[in-house]
Amino acid sequence: MSARPGSATPIYLDYAATSPVREEVVAEMLGCLGKDGAFANPSSTHALGRAAARIVAQAKVRIAARIGADPDGLVFTSGATEANNLALVGVLGASRARRHLVTTLIEHKSVLDCARALEAKGTEVTYVRCGPDGIVDPDALERAIRPDTALVSVMHVNNETGMIQPIAEIASRCRAREIPLHVDAAQAVGKIPVDLRALGVDLCSLTAHKVGGPKGVGALWIRPGISIEPMLHGGEQQRGLRPGTLPTHQIAGMGKAFELADPEVEGPHLADLRRRLRDALAEIDDVHVNGDFDRGAPHILNVAFPGVDGEALRFALRGLAVSAGSACMADSPEASHVLSTMGLSDAAALASIRFSFGPTTTADEIDTAARLIAEAVPRLRRLALGAPAWCRELRSGRATGPGGLR
Amino acid sequence: MEYSFDVERRFDSPAGAGNIEAPRGGAVAHGEAEDRSLNVWIRFEVQADGGTIREARFRAFGCPHTIAAASWAAEALRGAPVEALRSFDVDAARRALNVPKEKLGKLLRIEDALRACAERLTEAALEPLEG
Repeated sequence: MSARPGSATPIYLDYAATSPVREEVVAEMLGCLGKDGAFANPSSTHALGRAAARIVAQAKVRIAARIGADPDGLVFTSGATEANNLALVGVLGASRARRHLVTTLIEHKSVLDCARALEAKGTEVTYVRCGPDGIVDPDALERAIRPDTALVSVMHVNNETGMIQPIAEIASRCRAREIPLHVDAAQAVGKIPVDLRALGVDLCSLTAHKVGGPKGVGALWIRPGISIEPMLHGGEQQRGLRPGTLPTHQIAGMGKAFELADPEVEGPHLADLRRRLRDALAEIDDVHVNGDFDRGAPHILNVAFPGVDGEALRFALRGLAVSAGSACMADSPEASHVLSTMGLSDAAALASIRFSFGPTTTADEIDTAARLIAEAVPRLRRLALGAPAWCRELRSGRATGPGGLR
Repeated sequence: MEYSFDVERRFDSPAGAGNIEAPRGGAVAHGEAEDRSLNVWIRFEVQADGGTIREARFRAFGCPHTIAAASWAAEALRGAPVEALRSFDVDAARRALNVPKEKLGKLLRIEDALRACAERLTEAALEPLEG
């Protein structure tokens, strides 16, 4: 792939946003679409329907195997966003006496915005901060639990920083208090081993498109015995928890993608790429990994480049397809809520970039990316020579915490 | 965010960036402006002689549009009367470079920095000559 600025085919380093669909997955999906394939409604009782149902069942087995869970607990959704909403709204909706939710300030917007919507309807929510390393302290989370807590929701791997949260410890605290734990594992599956049985998780959100599956399909895994109400009504599919005709092709694709997304196979390659980029960027002055490098998932590296404007840096790096850790409004840049919670200054949060890798990312692409960054950052810093201190601050008036490259 | 060809060109090779090196005669003044909430800082340095701007240079911490507009301003001011520092209309730069209107808030800091230059040039002119 070309890496020249302005090139039509930039180097893709945005796998945490989404991934291309694997060829094997495409083949699996195509087998469910045409007249000669398993196109029938899986709820139909005729032979063709039963054939489609078998494909759905096979996909469930594949997905469940990847997450160490019982296939019967899977409820298919349109993706992790819907799964997160179903978990929060569904559990809080089914809870009569308990009206309190515990979550963290570094969750995906699909949890945070859902929590705020629940707050508007009377649910009390406690938002737990993370440390400067981007990791939630299980003790702090346990302190937030109250007698009326109905649910704790914590992501497994942060989508911006890649930091792996201590789910097993959090789960044990929740279990001791008999509070169900929901985990958003959208960024964890296929990158690190996920074993819901061993972790002791009660609900888990999943998505297909982060691991080479199609967009538009995901699932919520629910441990038997968890009380949950549906958000949608209109049929008995999936025990009435998520009615609607099952999209066999999407589910088959998700199943195949989960089968192929083996962290034991792909994790070492991803970890090598991540380390390679980190080491190359360490040659540039004043560059910082956001988070604790040693506690991150192998596919995400989030880096702050203090002293440059984030939008200018991303434009200078237009030969790379990367994400800002921020929501870029046209005239009022908004720093990432995750990086701000970690204590980064607004300018440093805006000047942070998330690099994320996939199975087809090569070492050459990483080297090219590092070279482009090594050209762009000093150039932009020279252009801003003499700028006030706030342009170069890494943290908001606090000492640099863990995560520095040096 | 969309960037016009002119913004791209000026961002990649920002004419007028840097400082005035070894000014030859006349008065030199600089002016700065910033808006932390918009993540922008601009510094202009101008050299004027006989009521005419001989050189204008800038430094910037800001988005590609801001850098491109500052570069456009630096070139436009060269050879202009010093009054142009006060009357500079950054919207002209915005239109010339096809910068989205939403970026005007950032671009206005260019006007502020140029006016600060004008103030300092006036002060410099009022100072008694040494010796």
